[in-house]
Amino acid sequence: MSVSSSANDRKQMAVTRSEETGITTPLTLSERSITGFALIRIFVGYLWFQQLFWKMPPDFAGLYSYIIRESQHTIIPGYGYILQHTFLTGCTSLYTTTGCTLYVPLAAGVWTAELIVALSLMFGLFTRFGAILGSVLAVQLYVGLAYTEWIWTYGMLVLLCLALATIPAGRRLGFDQWFAPRLQAAAHSNPLARFVSWFA
Amino acid sequence: MTHIRRGLWAGLLAGLLLAMLNFVTDGTPGRTLPDVLHWFGITITDPTLSRFGGFFLLIILGGIAGIIFGIVQGKRIITISQALLSGLVLGLVWWVIFSLLANIMNHSSSPLNLQFGMFLATFPIDLLFGMVLGSIYYQLQDQPSLTAT
Repeated sequence: MSVSSSANDRKQMAVTRSEETGITTPLTLSERSITGFALIRIFVGYLWFQQLFWKMPPDFAGLYSYIIRESQHTIIPGYGYILQHTFLTGCTSLYTTTGCTLYVPLAAGVWTAELIVALSLMFGLFTRFGAILGSVLAVQLYVGLAYTEWIWTYGMLVLLCLALATIPAGRRLGFDQWFAPRLQAAAHSNPLARFVSWFA
Repeated sequence: MTHIRRGLWAGLLAGLLLAMLNFVTDGTPGRTLPDVLHWFGITITDPTLSRFGGFFLLIILGGIAGIIFGIVQGKRIITISQALLSGLVLGLVWWVIFSLLANIMNHSSSPLNLQFGMFLATFPIDLLFGMVLGSIYYQLQDQPSLTAT
């Protein structure tokens, strides 16, 4: 029996033993894998970034027709009512924001949240926070618009953002590569650093 | 020479990323890529060729920026914070040259005329290019094939 086959046998035995005892073997992402995820992260961030430009401040007019559609086609009963009494309060037209009292500040909130997601994912800056916020925004889009387009359009966006929330994709080609080890070092003595370190 | 070669690779890869980001635009794919040719006064009438030309020119420009980055860093081994920071500075310089000055030369008389939309469309992307270049340069320091002279 050769050395390599003996090594293979030992590896197989170790795997079998860990399966028998129920111990999960830890996985380590290779440099190529994490860099691949970093590239995916940048493109997903860019996806969010591009969508800022058709609903620009100061009036955020591009978003209005989508809020109207969401209020009419939502898949959750009552969500349309919430939209009509928040974003669409006082609105008198289906096509313009005439008479709307709360639309601009709330739309500004949506736009800012999308900007934060875009910058967080593109620059790998507290990537998991950006990915979680992106997931929330994407779920909201799914709830409101899923039936008006291909059903998986927003579902895929939810899944993409969730995937990036589970992987530390900002630790390559991103600022999290600098932040993460420092936050983890401070986490032993500082509870806030321990909490924040999860997002990097 | 090693640091220059490392900078060249980092610049080409960051340039490729920038070109790909410019390709996946809303509307016609790569519709903004001919602008890269216009920076140098080049105009190609065929729109497809013009986009391909802009795509490859952007990669070449990335490579040149990477060489400059490598020369500035010199032979020292840089830390991740130095790589990210100097990458951001490079991105800022790139933005000033190719967005701010190009905008002045092509459209307006003053940099103050730069609209918010134009600023938002260019500034973060150019900083991203610089940051990625710096980050790749840092990663390549660990590659024996590139560090060997």
